[in-house]
Order: sequence, then structure tokens, then C-alpha cells
Amino acid sequence: MEYRTLPKKRIASFVTGLLKEFKVYGPVKKDGFPMYGEITSPKDLYLLHTPTHLSPKQYLFPQKETLLRFKSGANPPPLSPSGGGQGEDIAPVVEAENQVLFGVHSCDIHALRLLDRVFAYGPPDANYLRRREKTAIIGVDCMPDKYCFCKSVNTTTADSGFDLFLHDIGSGFIVEIGTQKGKALLHKHTKSKKTTAKEIRKIVEFKNKKAELFVAKINAEASTLPLIYSGSYFSPVWEKIGKICYGCGSCNHVCPTCYCFDVRDEIKANLTEGERYRVWDACLLEDFAKVAGGHSFRKTRAERLRHRFNRKFQYQVDKFGGLFCVGCGRCIRTCLVNINIAEVTNELIEESNRRR
Amino acid sequence: MNSLKNQTAAADISSPYMSRLARIERASRLTKKERLFRIAIEDRKPLGHSPGQFIMLSIPGYGEAPISISSPPDRKSVFEICVRAVGNLTNALHNLTKGDRLWIRGPYGKAFPVENLNGKDLLFIAGGIGLVPMRSLIKAVLAERLLYGRIHLLYGVKSPDEILFKDELSQWGQTGNINVSITIDKPHPEWKGHTGVVTTLISPLKIDEAKTAAVVVGPPIMYKYVIMSLGDKRISGHDIYVSLERRMKCGLGKCGHCQINSVYVCQEGPVFRLSDIRYLREAI
Repeated sequence: MEYRTLPKKRIASFVTGLLKEFKVYGPVKKDGFPMYGEITSPKDLYLLHTPTHLSPKQYLFPQKETLLRFKSGANPPPLSPSGGGQGEDIAPVVEAENQVLFGVHSCDIHALRLLDRVFAYGPPDANYLRRREKTAIIGVDCMPDKYCFCKSVNTTTADSGFDLFLHDIGSGFIVEIGTQKGKALLHKHTKSKKTTAKEIRKIVEFKNKKAELFVAKINAEASTLPLIYSGSYFSPVWEKIGKICYGCGSCNHVCPTCYCFDVRDEIKANLTEGERYRVWDACLLEDFAKVAGGHSFRKTRAERLRHRFNRKFQYQVDKFGGLFCVGCGRCIRTCLVNINIAEVTNELIEESNRRR
Repeated sequence: MNSLKNQTAAADISSPYMSRLARIERASRLTKKERLFRIAIEDRKPLGHSPGQFIMLSIPGYGEAPISISSPPDRKSVFEICVRAVGNLTNALHNLTKGDRLWIRGPYGKAFPVENLNGKDLLFIAGGIGLVPMRSLIKAVLAERLLYGRIHLLYGVKSPDEILFKDELSQWGQTGNINVSITIDKPHPEWKGHTGVVTTLISPLKIDEAKTAAVVVGPPIMYKYVIMSLGDKRISGHDIYVSLERRMKCGLGKCGHCQINSVYVCQEGPVFRLSDIRYLREAI
């Protein structure tokens, strides 16, 4: 592991340097809340904070993204099924620009690594992978709030998945080098010093201090959770939370590892141009598993909640390896009726223990 | 087209969403709700499908949907689909006629494993438009009829006017040496044949369970009961194949709509061997 030390005042010049080359996105404070947003000056950055409301997945997998553009071949006829034989042309759209995600937390770094696997599975997703290739990730240490439970799912720290990682040691940042790309960025845009053993010890001190601050936790080893979920298919818990769930899909929206999408067409008002785009979808919404003709494969909210929770702790784990819940707590903070994924999991653990 | 290409940021990366232009060669009405389309791919390259696979079909502005391929795997650039008008896209499709353009990508999904059916007695069980993907397999089987033993086709529909491929059904019976039995759900004044759900055709059959393979395609509700009846006939789950319908938006194993537990139907299905999904909750 390679480290460099950056005095606090140099962070501004580093960001200024990055801004010359890249779009930079990072945590900012907006209306008093920590959010992810575009950084236009080092002053915008709001580092060392509790989790942001939305995850940085939006910069690799935008909420709405154009996949194809189409255009009618001639002046009338407009885009229409019976386009008079002139018809339309379509062309693929793969948009990506060089960007830096600055100040990404460990949980979100783990989440992005999972999304990397998801979008490489099967026919590779050009849109995501191209954008991913052009993205540099700079991580930063964070502090848990009362909903964070990353410690229970082993995502409190990340040992890869970033180009640089910043550890705040008060007087400055210790910069952990993750990739050659990250190292080059650091050297190009700022001057750093050799890190001393005393400074490295401060990272450990911070980690130890942070470990004591967690309130929320899951009461079982992370590796046992897929099996616990597998045995909980008929648990009464699903019916219980299904009764209070609004089926609004907010949990899907804020989750850093939810990636389901809908594909739709849109025609411009001139009726000769349009696009096919994908947009975030949510498995908690009623229509999500409904086929033409009206049959829905998950009719009740209880079934849809069970599906979502199992995607985090069992289904996607079977498929891609690694828990798909990274313990960020966002779905808990955002839920209108206080459905708490950690508490629900603890209930399932308790039931499972009773069955033994 | 050129001006559109310039907007593409990375022209060298191929988008899996890009589709191929195709034209309708023939459109014919089969029933009140279903039309059969013969479609020619403009670049003349074969579709290259196997029975049971599907395409993603789109009309720009009207959207995209998964559609089963209904013609046999003849390696041509012309193929057939049979579509029920039930949504935005399929209603628009029904308004198209000869020469009109549409876009396709695929084929996608796992096909019926024809090689596993060789030498077997075959029991085809179709409900409603389940006959559409099955027709591709039946035609492939008929092309090599001598490789198979006895063949039964049990076909259940709601009413007589919903029977698809009427002429072909009688042709399969007469020249193809297939025992075709059709049933309608409820009595109908114009119907002289068998009445009742499709499972009522299974019980009277004499089946050699050791050498029979069953292929089941129909509406979601049908599978459970047909599989129970096949169990009564002692046909092993190893010899039962089903094709499962799910909502699909990408066909590429990403969008999540077709997911059954940890399985993406568009990638690992839509055709499954029943014994492989016996423990897949929510499959049947």
C-alpha cells in the first residue's frame, strides 16, 4: 500500500487542478443536507460527513439516459408506424465524459464495484462501461450516523475500487494510492509529502474511534445472511411490513446497488425526432413485474418487499457474489413508514435462531 | 444518418440496444386479436434463431417489447411472429402492412433443447398464444419427423374463434402424423369438439412415461395444473420443458424485470427444464 500526505490547504489546489481536466462531482451541502452535486470550486466540497441522500451511482448510471436516437427520413411523413416507406433512421448513443467522483465513501465504493459486475454480465452494457472507464474515483473517510450499519456488512473500509482514498488526520489528508491513474492525478495536480509512520497510525486511530460510533447493526455474521434469507421465504415479517409499505419505490431510488430500469420511447414535438432512453425503475412499484395482458408476478407489497430484500441478501449474491446491501442506511432514512432493513434482517435472524 | 452518428460519443463501442431494420413482407389476420407477420431483415443476414427464442421488436416512438419467434429455425433472413394486440406497441404493429418498417434485435434467450427430444414420444401442451413459440419447435420437429416417436399436441383456448393456425393444425394432423386435440374452456354453440381446460385432455392419454418428453407453453395460470397432471402420468421433471413469460425491457440481463429469484429469464430462459427450476420459488 502506498501513501502520500497532503497538507489541508493543498486540497483546494488539487481540486482546482482536477477541475481543469474533468467534470468533478462530490458531496456538497444543499439546503442543509449532504448531497452529491457538481463541484465548480473547491469551496463547494463538504468532506468528512455522514452519508449523502442519493448515492454517486447517478454519475455512472444516470436516472435517465439516452440509448438510441431516431429521426424520420424525410419531411412528412412524420415518425409513424406507416412511415410511407421513407421511415426513420436510428443510431446508438453512448455518452461518456472524463469525470472525477470526489469524496466517495467506502460503502459506495463497494456498491460501484458490484455495479461493475452487473453491467459486465451477459452482453456488456456499453453505456455504463464506457462511462466507468472514464471515471476516476477518489474516496474519503466518513462518520456513521445512527442508520449506518456498514460495519455489519464489512464495507466500513475499501481496499480497492478507488483511484485515491483520502484519510483525514486533522492537519491534512493521508492519500492512499489505489491505482497508477490515481497516482498520476495526484502528482500532476498537487504536491504531496512522504507519509510518516506516525501519520499512518492516525488512520488506525480514526478507524478505531469510528468503529465505536455505530448504533445500527445486524446481529449475525454477514456471510450467514444469504442462508438466513433463504430460510425466511415464508416468514410472517413480509406480511407485517407489506401492510405498512406505501409501495413508493423510494428505497429503490436511493439504493446504491439498485439498478433496475425501464426502457421507453419519446418523440419530440416536431414529430420527426425522438429517442429511446432508459430510466430508473423500482421493483416496489406495482407494475414492475406485470406482463402484457395484466398478470402480475408479484401482486402484493409483501411479495415485492421480499423480492427487494432478497435481492440485497440472497438473489444477487448467488449471481454476482458479495452482499448487495452495503449498509449505507439510505433506504431507512428515506422510508416514509420507517421500514428498517437492518431491523427486518434482525427479526429474520431471530426467527431463524428460534427454528434451530 | 450521418448527422446522427456524429452525436455518438463513442462510435467504436457497440451498443447492445442498436437494432436492425426490417420490413413486413406479409401481414395476415389469424383471429380477432392476433395477426401473423412475415418479416424480412433488410441486411439479408439470417436471424439465426432456434425454437423458443425471442426478439426485441420496436417501432420508434411506440416502444420495444419481447416477441416470440414463431417460424422454424431455417437460417433465413425472413421470419414470422404472431402478435396479440394488447398494448401500445402491439396495437401500433397491428396497423402496419406490407412494406412497413420496424426494428429488431436478437435473437435472445435459451431455446428448446431439440437434441434432448430426439428419439422420444413428444407431448406438446399449449394454452392460448403459447402455441406461437411452440409452432417454431413443432415445425423443426416435423422437418425431421422420423427422429421422433408418437407426437401429441394438446391445445387449449378460451373459445373456438381464438384458435390459431387452424389450417396448419389440421395439416400437422394429416400429413405430420401428430395427434392434435383441441379443447375450449367453456361450451360454445359452434363448437362440436372437446370442452374443458387443457388438463382434461391429459388424463385419458396413454403415455409411455419412460420415453415421453413434454413441452408446455401457456398463460401463467396453466403451468401449475398441467404439471400436476403430468406428474400423475409419471413424467419426470427432467423430461418436461416450459417456456416462462415475464416482463422484459432489455433482453440483456440488466433491467431486472424478468427476474425470478436469482434467475434472469431473458438470459437463463425463457425455456427451462422443469427439474432445473423445481426449487426456484415464484417460477411456476
